Amino acid sequence: MSTSESGVLMAPKRSLLNRLGLDRFSALYLWGAFMIIFGLWKPDTFLSMTSAKLVLGENVSTGILALAFLVPFCAATFDLSIGAVMSMSVVTMCFLSDEKARSFNMPVGVAAVITLVVCTLIGAVSGFIVVKLKVNSFIATLGLGQVISAVVLKISFNRQITDVFSKTFVKFGRNQYFGIPVVFFYLAVAGIIIWYVLEHTPVGRFIYATGGNPEAARLAGVKTDRMVWGSLIASSFLAGVAGIVFSAKVGLFTAATGPNYLFPAIAAVFFGASQLKGRPNVAGTFIALYALAFGIKGLQLVVGTDSYWVNPMFQGTTLIIAVSLASQKGLAKMRKRKVQTT
Amino acid sequence: MAKILHIWSLSKSFPGQVALQDATFDVEEGEVHALVGQNGSGKSTLIKVLAGFHKPDPGHNVTMRDEVFEIGDAAAAHRAGIRFVHQDLGLVEAVSAVENLALGFGYRTGFGRRINWKKETLKTKQALLDLGFDIDVRVPVAALGGAARTGVAIARALQESEQNISILILDEPTASLPGADVDRLFDAIRRLKTRGIAVVFVSHHLEEVFEIADRVTVLRDAKVVATVEASDLDMSSLIELIVGRKVTAATVNRSIDQTLEPRLRVEDLWGPGMNDVSLEVRPGEVLGVAGLTGSGRDTLIPMLSGAMERLGNVSIDGVAIRAGNPSAAIAAGLAFVPADRLRNGIISMMSVRSNTTIANVGRNKTGLRLNHKKERAETQDWISQLSVVTTSSEAPISTLSGGNQQKVMMARSFRLDPKVLLLDEPTQGVDIGAKEEIHTFVDAAAANGSAVVIASTDSAELARLCDRVIVMHRGQIVDTIVRGEGSMAQSIDKVLLAGSSLATN
Repeated sequence: MSTSESGVLMAPKRSLLNRLGLDRFSALYLWGAFMIIFGLWKPDTFLSMTSAKLVLGENVSTGILALAFLVPFCAATFDLSIGAVMSMSVVTMCFLSDEKARSFNMPVGVAAVITLVVCTLIGAVSGFIVVKLKVNSFIATLGLGQVISAVVLKISFNRQITDVFSKTFVKFGRNQYFGIPVVFFYLAVAGIIIWYVLEHTPVGRFIYATGGNPEAARLAGVKTDRMVWGSLIASSFLAGVAGIVFSAKVGLFTAATGPNYLFPAIAAVFFGASQLKGRPNVAGTFIALYALAFGIKGLQLVVGTDSYWVNPMFQGTTLIIAVSLASQKGLAKMRKRKVQTT
Repeated sequence: MAKILHIWSLSKSFPGQVALQDATFDVEEGEVHALVGQNGSGKSTLIKVLAGFHKPDPGHNVTMRDEVFEIGDAAAAHRAGIRFVHQDLGLVEAVSAVENLALGFGYRTGFGRRINWKKETLKTKQALLDLGFDIDVRVPVAALGGAARTGVAIARALQESEQNISILILDEPTASLPGADVDRLFDAIRRLKTRGIAVVFVSHHLEEVFEIADRVTVLRDAKVVATVEASDLDMSSLIELIVGRKVTAATVNRSIDQTLEPRLRVEDLWGPGMNDVSLEVRPGEVLGVAGLTGSGRDTLIPMLSGAMERLGNVSIDGVAIRAGNPSAAIAAGLAFVPADRLRNGIISMMSVRSNTTIANVGRNKTGLRLNHKKERAETQDWISQLSVVTTSSEAPISTLSGGNQQKVMMARSFRLDPKVLLLDEPTQGVDIGAKEEIHTFVDAAAANGSAVVIASTDSAELARLCDRVIVMHRGQIVDTIVRGEGSMAQSIDKVLLAGSSLATN
């Protein structure tokens, strides 16, 4: 009697956990929890439209940078240079379109195109180092990132650059449509494009195959070198876009601009990889990005004026907790698999 | 002989599945006992319960040397003198045999807790010599051959207080060993037998059962079907026990139109271990490649497929194929199933569907978009054609058994409708049922006009499939055996033996 009772109790317990999907949807639950906790704690500030808009808009550059990290990451390739590439993009924009005629004073459109070309070339170089010189991507892009940072410092004389952009350009960064910051639409468009390529085209399949088992993929006819190289070019291009969006929105350059965005971008990708599909993916990345962003906003409001330390503290702890949860899930999966193979 | 381990009515069930049902099994002192059965028949479960990896269902009765034995407990199994060597050996590849042994037992330290390397080295050397392996114990085990690595794993399992060890259990020790290495391993097993240690081993290679086993236990569908003296069996009766029905291997009856131009033409092939090899294969012809490891048999297909670098001309229907470029070779009509399925074949994190279609994803495209629905339907088609056992086309391929993963690899190649099909050890680690299905598909590919090349260490397999078998030795073709000249398998083995005696002289 007692055994059958415990048996009955056991079964729904397991299926309930599965149904709730605490592992695959943990970021969504976390997001919900933040909204409730901080909503109750600071209802007047946290639950206002202003702060929601602020969070939506503030994280667009981080989001695009996260996409930049995501694409090569799907091919098991790291691109750590994207932070430096982003600041390269901002400083190039400032340099080329400076209205005070210290330098080129180009129309913003032309400056943006040149900036993107520069960034794409950097991606081509890192691809060359990884594919042709066969340097591990982690090391190659870490090194190249330092080199680019040096160039950025040289161009900017390590000074803060402000107030260089035309009013029309700034509009591209600060307007709102339907009450939503315009930059958010840029992120959405970029996300949809990357999602489409990764999930619904052969190229996406090839990128994931390269990430899964490069030698097996190569022997199955996937041009793995091209995938790695191409994904590094795409990531630098996207980092360039992140820099241009940042220029339009913030209009300010300091040497810390890019590198400060690198960690949150990587955190969103890693956390996102444990979401939905159990592999790096766009939707998971976005959910993780905004779950973390709303959490940080809430904490900043609670802590008040001394909140400068909140950001890294929160990013770091959540990343570790999230990934450890995911690896617990991986362990459980492995145990299950061992049981199944008799 | 005295029975040391006796198991009555052992069962193990997992949620939704009975993996072992009412099994009776015993081990006699100093015997070699083979455990055979198809994938999923329950032999691994039996071993895992013995090893204490799984707890059995209640209701069993187990004795070890006439005392009640707590089965399903790793520590108790160890105390009772049962040792295990698992299929992956569990060695640390980057360090030496000495260190691998010490990892299991601890280093002997001298003054100042300094490791006494000299003593450790001597001890390891002796342990391996006792098993018949005279090897350098100081090089990383990764540099050792397959048999020697297994030897190191056995030596590690047997060290310390050997008088207490009564049973050694080897899980598929020969699964990835070439022929000559199998002989060395069997030599080691015979030595263990003379030391009074009973050896239980799992194998898919039935000829090994007859070579070395005293008794055989056959499992089928989670049940023990029979335990018999090996001498009372012949091959067909053993297969019938394993499969549960009579398996009649189809006999090949192909006629190759010799007037047709060769589909695959290889001229002056050079490369690591390959010395100027030329060959031709016509449409509908199946060419076998036999030879020991290192003879060129193991590198021929990787070189042709572009996995390995090479010199020389390879052409398909007159179109030259560049070296080291698998995607160009595939575009020219070549398809290829690699020998090392886990490393070079499957992409384990991806689904059965993605693994099936990866070599030509574009086929199921509508405009720029991948048509997932069409792709799923195509994969489902292959799953039923090859009777792949999987929950669905979306299941990760890592959840499939080895034989079924191999069928997916076959589907990946066949769906390219290849002009030239290269198969490297196509049925290694695959159970008998799946093996015959794979063979039938090779016949179909040949009937379809493909030129097929199969490299295999299994002479019976080559005899079953091939019209012509080349035997390789030191990177050269030393003999060609054509169907119709008596027993092909015997001829192949004869040449192989002659070759290996050449090599040792």
